Amino acid sequence: MHDVINHLINTVFGLGWPGWAISLIAYLLIATILFMIVPFQMLFLTYFERRAIARMQDRVGPNRVGPEGIFQPVADGVKMFTKEDIVPDAADKWVHLIGPGIVVAPTMFMFAVLPWGPGMVPFDMNIGLLFFFAISSVSAVGLMASGWASNNKFALLGAMRAVAQMVSYEIPAVLSLLAIVLVTGSLSIVDLITFQSGLFISSSDVPGIPDFGLGWFVFTPVGFLAFIAFFIAALAEGERTPFDIPEADSEIVAGYMTEYSGMKFGLFYLAQYVLNFLLCAITAIIFFGGWQGPGVGWLYAQAITPANPAGNGLFNVLAGVLGVFYFLAKTYFFFFVMVWVRGAYARLRIDQLMDFGWKLLIPLTLVNVVSAAIWVGLTKWGAADGLAFVEGWAPLMRWAVAFVITLVMNLVAYFFLVRVYSQSQDERARLDDEVLERLTNVA
Amino acid sequence: MLKTEELQINIGPQHPSTHGVFRMIVTVDGETITDLKPVFGYLHRNHEQIAEVNTYLQNMPYTDRLDYFNSMANNHAYALAVEKLVGIEVPERAEYLRVLMVELTRILNHAGALGFLINDMGAWQTQLAFGMREREKILDLFESASGARLMCNYFRFGGVARDLPPDFMPRLKDLLIAMPAFVDEMERLLRENEILLQRSENIGVLPKEVAISYSVTGPMLRASGVPYDIRRAEPYSIYDRFDFDVPVGAVGDVYDRILVRIEEMRQSKRIIEQVIAQLPDAQGGHINPKARQNVRPPAGDVYARVETPKGELGFYLVSDGSLKPYRYKVRAPSFINLTPLGDMCRGYKVADVVVILGSIDIVMGEVDR
Repeated sequence: MHDVINHLINTVFGLGWPGWAISLIAYLLIATILFMIVPFQMLFLTYFERRAIARMQDRVGPNRVGPEGIFQPVADGVKMFTKEDIVPDAADKWVHLIGPGIVVAPTMFMFAVLPWGPGMVPFDMNIGLLFFFAISSVSAVGLMASGWASNNKFALLGAMRAVAQMVSYEIPAVLSLLAIVLVTGSLSIVDLITFQSGLFISSSDVPGIPDFGLGWFVFTPVGFLAFIAFFIAALAEGERTPFDIPEADSEIVAGYMTEYSGMKFGLFYLAQYVLNFLLCAITAIIFFGGWQGPGVGWLYAQAITPANPAGNGLFNVLAGVLGVFYFLAKTYFFFFVMVWVRGAYARLRIDQLMDFGWKLLIPLTLVNVVSAAIWVGLTKWGAADGLAFVEGWAPLMRWAVAFVITLVMNLVAYFFLVRVYSQSQDERARLDDEVLERLTNVA
Repeated sequence: MLKTEELQINIGPQHPSTHGVFRMIVTVDGETITDLKPVFGYLHRNHEQIAEVNTYLQNMPYTDRLDYFNSMANNHAYALAVEKLVGIEVPERAEYLRVLMVELTRILNHAGALGFLINDMGAWQTQLAFGMREREKILDLFESASGARLMCNYFRFGGVARDLPPDFMPRLKDLLIAMPAFVDEMERLLRENEILLQRSENIGVLPKEVAISYSVTGPMLRASGVPYDIRRAEPYSIYDRFDFDVPVGAVGDVYDRILVRIEEMRQSKRIIEQVIAQLPDAQGGHINPKARQNVRPPAGDVYARVETPKGELGFYLVSDGSLKPYRYKVRAPSFINLTPLGDMCRGYKVADVVVILGSIDIVMGEVDR
């Protein structure tokens, strides 16, 4: 974006503006575009979810407001705005007020490092991934604040559940990303995407692979296991079925948002859908190449970039359109999977959720980190790092050996851990029986 | 040791999953239930007292409102009670029509109940929508036969209100052909879904002895391992002519209740097939023409009971020889099945309470009369 504006102002119009003015214009423009796009994403996603789930349930879904009901979310938004804002008498008014704000703000910050297409990232931070996850955990504070301030037992239970869930599922999410970071050696989200060019094999693992933009991490054993673990953790982080425990409507009414109405409730809703969108987007970016896809790399090579200032501006547009298309297609696919899961599965119980996170996902992702280390050693290291025996192998051979070893390791770990996990489940069931006996004897 | 405090929560009367206006005072230690007190009576509408100022026939539509899911079965129990009191003969064809309607009721009730139960477990209405779809098909049949979908008011003393319309049988046969696919689908969903298994296995266990001492009946009792079905134990109407099995559970948990209900749907289908095969082709034989509807029974009392989809529904009527019952008492299965709720929930988590409540399959119209 910055390059294109620089090109337009200084080369096409020849105004000769300084760098800081270009940057200012670029950031203002990007911020404005993002603030227009983000709420519309949320509006579209609610409509999309309702229509998709209606098809799964043999219904039609919203189809009254506008053609095919496309303006239904707008009508809902207007309703939200015009509703009375009720604050319970016993609530802590100020905390009750700022709670939704603390929940929404981080989700907006997270867009700062999200790349939409080639060269289309608001701010290419070298610790983008870390920033993304650090910021996302801030919303737990807002959840706890709003649940506590409502002075409602359901809200308090919901907030406790939300915080416990977010804290425990951040670990497998970050551990699965750690494996990917080990492989790429970079925390920049843009670097992560450029790493994934190639055709089933990443061009940075094996030089000379034709670039079809398909060298996604999900095609490696390390990336596949990380993807499964990360997506499950993302479901828990985004409070989606089967992990929508903090707002379990059949148990604790609406969890931490029980005492919210009007636009404050709308803000929670906004935060949730935006967070879901972001989690789907980051899944698409890290494991499915983001904007990578057939053709984008070639188009972007002809465009105006820092490396190629003499490129053609038309190719910027073409590469951008195609890249954004690939990116959004993948993101919406993952959102559809979330909707699909919601249409099919029941909810887990909070203790089952914790068991699953701590006893299965975390050990599995830890093994995956070791696998990633082996992968890096076999594909990248040489005599200088103490791995002289791989020095003479062809890159493809090194890749194949790493693939087989990590695949075997991950499979063994998976089957072993699942066995241990189900045994511990049985033991826990026995423990519950003891508790039950003690309680019935008391009564 | 960390000092913890018990928290008391009111689940209900306004709560999304209490199946009406039902209240549970739950004491929790963290998320574990240490005590639960069911509170009912929010839907009390003086049913039994009102019935005493109505004539016997006027009470027939009123029984529909007890358990509005299964109005046919309620009608059946009441008709049996009055017929026993007065001594009315029921023609052969009418008996078959009654059994047909009541068994259809059983299928629709279980389809709906399983859908609601999975909804309580947190699925987002998909399974409920599919259960309701099957229920609608049966309600269409009820509508064609009785003129109403929910409050059928189809039974009369000495038979049923009207004979079947001509297109009823072909539609019923189509329904029976399509039914096994739905039941198999539901069973596959419940047996193969890891999350549903985790949420239902060993949850809300009701041991055999406790169930008997609470006089629990219906699928709840059978899931606890007691093969007690009034259709078998004390055959009323013409149930002694049919060949069907009484499914029994092993543990008495939520999962067993689900499986018992699924199997009962299959057994009901078997009974309906036998009804279709044996149905006497006597048009107009749907009611005893000599039976007076405005009955004046001799002084005395009677208790008649049937196996509704929810359990034993009994009507106790006392007559003083007038046109109106002197005493009209309902033994409602939902109400009595609900009493062991506290024992079933103790020691489980908050999330299990709604699942256990859903597995009892209550209708508040019947609990608070």
